[in-house]
Amino acid sequence: MKSNSTLHILNKAPEHPRHKTCTQALTPSDTLVLIENGVLSVAGNHLDAPCKLYVLKADTDARGLEAASEDITTINYDELVQLTTKHAKIISW
Amino acid sequence: MLNSLAYTLVITGAPWTSQAPQTALMFATAALSAGHRIDRVFLYGDGVHLASSLSTPPSDETHWPQQWSLFLKQHGIPATACIASALRRGLVNETEQARYELPAENLRAPFEIAGLGEWVEGNQAADRTLYFHGGG
Amino acid sequence: MTTLIVIDQAPYGSWSGREALDMAFSLAAFDHPAAMLFTGPGVNWLRKGQQPDGVGQKSAEKNLSAAPLFGIEALIADEHACQQYGLSESAMLPGIELASNIQNVLSSHTHVVFAG
Repeated sequence: MKSNSTLHILNKAPEHPRHKTCTQALTPSDTLVLIENGVLSVAGNHLDAPCKLYVLKADTDARGLEAASEDITTINYDELVQLTTKHAKIISW
Repeated sequence: MLNSLAYTLVITGAPWTSQAPQTALMFATAALSAGHRIDRVFLYGDGVHLASSLSTPPSDETHWPQQWSLFLKQHGIPATACIASALRRGLVNETEQARYELPAENLRAPFEIAGLGEWVEGNQAADRTLYFHGGG
Repeated sequence: MTTLIVIDQAPYGSWSGREALDMAFSLAAFDHPAAMLFTGPGVNWLRKGQQPDGVGQKSAEKNLSAAPLFGIEALIADEHACQQYGLSESAMLPGIELASNIQNVLSSHTHVVFAG
């Protein structure tokens, strides 16, 4: 994880306009974390992220979603905190 | 070695219309238990509703304003509601009640009311400023 | 260390844009460099000739035109969004920079902030 990469935290459902703005802003060196309704992206393949992708377990669990796959890492709040320590630049969408 | 950081948290999503206060509280709890500091919590826009002392959810639901209050008191974290956001939405402390001759005050302790300058300062002082917005 | 405040909601229909503008003005008032990006429906902030008397609101156009006086470094518009909303340069407030690549705008600012 490079310190100059951006951590994007996305809490919007796939149909929300900001969801699209966020995904268009991603670069391969960035990191994307889906939280709250953002995790709905993993249901039905709404997302083609060019970068490292994480989902917040509490939010996938709450919505009955199974997010684990090769490309998606499931994290808890402790790991979310860790991600914020590793990125100087964070955008909450 | 643990690198301890100072965080400012900004909550712009209201309880019961968004998940923002919950996510922020879970994050804050995890940050403290990892040895980081939360220097300030700033409520902005609809986020100021978290500071209402009049919120009364059904007894079998989590009371987010109360949970936040307890957390802030327990850890001695200063929390501010933006004055412009708060006054527009009917969140006032005793000072503003007197100033505008309003019938009541309804700001939950330990929240305070202040201007955006607090946010600017918090931004400046913190290693990380994190925003918790309304969802959708 | 410039903070980029992003407005992606149209004026009048919600208050979040005004609250975003307040954030930008506050930064500038405390001598912290600030710039603004207008994208999506947010570009409608930039249209000339707004007459909001009928909806009982203050003019967003007038509010925004004070930005340079307050020391806001730049007002940047998403060119694609402008096209989408039929907003030509001649219909736009003066002094707006057009950006065709939002990714570049976001990556060139240390802090990127939405008001809500």
